Amino acid sequence: MKVSMLRSAVAIGLSACLYTASVNAQLDPLTVQIQPQAQSSLLVDIAKAGDKLVAVGQRGHVLVLDQQWQQVASPVVTQLTNVFFLNEKLGWAVGHDATIIHTNDGGLTWSLQMESTVLEKPFLDVRFFSEQQGVAIGAYGLFYRTEDGGKTWHDEFHQELLFEEDVAYLNELKQEDEELYLSERAALLPHFNRIINLDADRLLLVGELGLVAVSNDMGRTFERVDFDYDGSMFNAITHGEDVYVMGLRGHVFKASNALNDWQQIELPVESSINGALVDGDDLYLVGNAGIILKIDGDKAELVARRQGENIVSVAKNNKGEIWFAGTKGLFQLPK
Amino acid sequence: MLEKLVNSFETHLFRNRMWVIISFIFITVFLGYQASQLKMDAAFSKNIPLNHTYMQTYTKHQKDFGGANGIMVAVEDTSGNIFNPVFFDTLKKVHDELFFIDGVERSQVKSLYSPSTRFTEVVEDGFAGGPVIPADFRTDEYGLAVVRDNIEKAGIVGRLIANDYSAAMLSAQLMDFDPDTGEALNTIEFANELEQKLRGQFENDNIKIHIIGFAKMAGDVADGAKGVLLFFLIAIVITAVMVYLFSKSIMLTVLPLMCSLMAVIWQLGLLTVVGFGLDPMSILVPFLVFAIGVSHGVQMINAVRRRVIDGQATKAAAASAFRSLLVPGGVALLSDTVGFLTLLAIDIGIIRELAISASLGVGVIILTNLILLPLVISYTNLSNAEQNPVQKQKIENIWRSLSKFATPKYAVIVLTCTAVLYVVGFMKATEMKIGDLKGGAPALHQDSRYNLDTFFITDHFSITTDVMTVIVEAEPEACTYHSMLSQIDQFEWMVGNTPGVESTASLASIAKAVNAGFNEGNPKWQILPRTTASLVQAVGQVPTTSGLLNGNCSVMPVYLFLKDHKAETIEVVVNKVKQVAAELNSDKLQFKLASGPVGVMAATNEAVSEAQLPMMIYVYGAVFILCLISFKSLKATIAVIIPLYVVSTLAQALMTMLDIGLAVSTLPVIALGVGIGVDYGIYILSTMSNKLSNGMAVQQAYFEALVERGSAVIFTGLTLAIGVSTWFFSALKFQMDMGILLTFMFLVNMLGAIIILPALSALFWRKAS
Repeated sequence: MKVSMLRSAVAIGLSACLYTASVNAQLDPLTVQIQPQAQSSLLVDIAKAGDKLVAVGQRGHVLVLDQQWQQVASPVVTQLTNVFFLNEKLGWAVGHDATIIHTNDGGLTWSLQMESTVLEKPFLDVRFFSEQQGVAIGAYGLFYRTEDGGKTWHDEFHQELLFEEDVAYLNELKQEDEELYLSERAALLPHFNRIINLDADRLLLVGELGLVAVSNDMGRTFERVDFDYDGSMFNAITHGEDVYVMGLRGHVFKASNALNDWQQIELPVESSINGALVDGDDLYLVGNAGIILKIDGDKAELVARRQGENIVSVAKNNKGEIWFAGTKGLFQLPK
Repeated sequence: MLEKLVNSFETHLFRNRMWVIISFIFITVFLGYQASQLKMDAAFSKNIPLNHTYMQTYTKHQKDFGGANGIMVAVEDTSGNIFNPVFFDTLKKVHDELFFIDGVERSQVKSLYSPSTRFTEVVEDGFAGGPVIPADFRTDEYGLAVVRDNIEKAGIVGRLIANDYSAAMLSAQLMDFDPDTGEALNTIEFANELEQKLRGQFENDNIKIHIIGFAKMAGDVADGAKGVLLFFLIAIVITAVMVYLFSKSIMLTVLPLMCSLMAVIWQLGLLTVVGFGLDPMSILVPFLVFAIGVSHGVQMINAVRRRVIDGQATKAAAASAFRSLLVPGGVALLSDTVGFLTLLAIDIGIIRELAISASLGVGVIILTNLILLPLVISYTNLSNAEQNPVQKQKIENIWRSLSKFATPKYAVIVLTCTAVLYVVGFMKATEMKIGDLKGGAPALHQDSRYNLDTFFITDHFSITTDVMTVIVEAEPEACTYHSMLSQIDQFEWMVGNTPGVESTASLASIAKAVNAGFNEGNPKWQILPRTTASLVQAVGQVPTTSGLLNGNCSVMPVYLFLKDHKAETIEVVVNKVKQVAAELNSDKLQFKLASGPVGVMAATNEAVSEAQLPMMIYVYGAVFILCLISFKSLKATIAVIIPLYVVSTLAQALMTMLDIGLAVSTLPVIALGVGIGVDYGIYILSTMSNKLSNGMAVQQAYFEALVERGSAVIFTGLTLAIGVSTWFFSALKFQMDMGILLTFMFLVNMLGAIIILPALSALFWRKAS
């Protein structure tokens, strides 16, 4: 449904772009951004940066927890979707309009590395393997790589993740109409939602339409894993020897490191699962409809259910505080 | 010349006194009949400043988005859990009953049972959804479980269902006019129907019905206003006793009271004649008319009696009293009338009605108490009236002591004290708050059923009646452009970050949520898509019944839910809205204040505070000119006005101290107070000014004025104050506030006239003394 919608949208989208030229010239962007409600409105990811936590969300909001949460200026106003810290200083955050921003002081100041409204796609995750090498992934197979710490970014097209019938269709189109081929190609891959390290050399990519794939070459090529659910997977996490992937409508699957023994974990709820945290021996999952679950082996237990909000991310700092982020901002569970 | 005119008027009048009295009786019968036809009448539109810019926006879009005239009905299960068959059966009946009450805009009735209450959920292949209460719903265990699930999915907890599942909400918008007959909705009748058909029929030990909304409030105010009748009777009794103590004559007690009641009858009758109803908010006017009537009646009987004691025949005494009081009394009453008429300058229907009904009533008093009363008295025989010489001496001693205020020595002390009081009062008065200062309906007490219902609803639901709506006017199809919706989104965000704003809603924020829905419910997609096609897809899911957009989405309201409706809160939010709107407004898109209950309050507050100064200027201007005409002396005029002004300022300081806000109900009090307070000064100074211009010393002139009118002035002040102070026990909060303020104005104005006025005279005419 989404794919076909986008096809028809391309032409109209161009005209709409012309219309957006003079958006909000009048209001000072920083004034708009730094507002008291930032902490209690949509925030979608929290990452650990040394002793600090850094949260990102709508309108380019970035908040840093040292002693208390403090909003810091960010160079963008579009929604950020993910934040990643390589160490306590170096971090990247990505978002809509193919935005990538970077910090080298643990999240206090940020600079813009990439932004493209023309792409009309959001990045949904970012991961660095070293100070120089990293990838940013997103909607419709969006995949960018840097070899210089983010100074320059280059796109990669992961044809190997296309469905067979789409490959044939694209090849046909390439002969007839180069332009149409490119625009179609840009919409045929599923969303790439999350990329994690299984170990130092193996990457796991999860995404839309039951996409679960591994890469042994730092994401240059992927191979789909056998997986018999075709709903979206939003997140993945390793816990001891096990790998968990999770996504639409309470679907959570567990496999060993070999990824050949998927097993569904029955949840007491049907909400989509967005975020996960390993805390010692415990695995916590959070998701829509305000649910917080604890996974113990194959059993899932509902820890809390918060009314009227969706929870997207969870993280723990060095003080042992567990923070959640979601549609109503940041919160901790009452003790 | 004036004297000549008065004399010839008196001659004609007293020559035909029978005919005059008979015609008064006929008029009273006619107007009495008219008065009996008078109906209680309350209309929402009367309470708002319709020409204020906010209200023009409000009226313009009222048809599409409803206005502020809605009602909410919360059906509570006293067990604390609604998921039982009895509750759902009752809820269904309440829904049906409400739907069919005349005056309800049927397309806008919302509850669990309305077909527009649906849920949507994301499934693997798109969306699934349906009505929250399925067509085959049965109130059995399974059915209730399904509904409970659907309620969660529909996200209506807090809106249509209480946060703790103890109650369910129904809401409806009211029509201003009956679509069949075209007649204006009878709000009070509507409120009665709500009371009987909903609460009367369905409330029992297990089910409680909470109803709020303007119509219900008006109904409750009307009920409370019925208690006014009791206060009226109490006041009549108190006044009668006081007048008797004053006059020591049953005849002289009955006559001024009768004439004053006649004025009330005329005033009520005239209301019907000019096509008004009796609005609960101006139910106090007849009372005021009575009080003012008695005040002038007492002056009249006092004057007649003094002349009879001096040896005149009753008829001659009445005629002479008529001659001496027609001008000062007439001027005083005319100042009252003009004072009340100045309230017409305020563009709020109910205040204008008050202005007209009060000025009619006071105008009528000129006829009943200055003309009819002496004519009737002239038929009585007061020859047995006499005054105990010892008592007379005692009273004269009092007047002698009081007259010291007119000596320079005491005048300095009095005026210094007055100046200090004024400065302190002025400082307090500048802190006077505008608008309603407390939660719930300000006209009613905090522990009234209506306000308890309000508190129940605000405690158990995440909704509030404190909603201000900013209307976004744009070009047709504006919602299909990212730039337009993102302007709205920015506006909503900036205003949402204002202290006092609890939450917000607009098409932009809903479109973001819907867009997340289209992307598998993933909150990371909670954005406004840049492409028109995706925007259309998101916006297309939002029906016009949501109140978030009109048919061609050229109008999109932004709802601001405030923490309360205190004037400070409203002002902060309104200022922020104006500031952000000024930055974001363009040819293509404008943010306009305001609709919703708080939008109306914002307009009312602004209208009231803007009206305050002009109203004062007009009232004082009118009093000034009338005094100048009658006294022909600037000094005399100023001597009357300064005490009045000091007292008005002190009254405002009192409002600050008692937390009484300047509102539609309290604004007229100042004008009424000035109008009534001026009587005292005019009566005293009119006696003095003749003597002063003849060269009499100030103290002596004041002493003689006191002998002639002092007891009537003091007596009147006390009587009126005691009468209105009974309002203190009223079921209506605004009546209590008015009671406090009027008691203060009556008493302190009287004190001003006998203490400050002579002191000022001593200052102004010091050469003569």
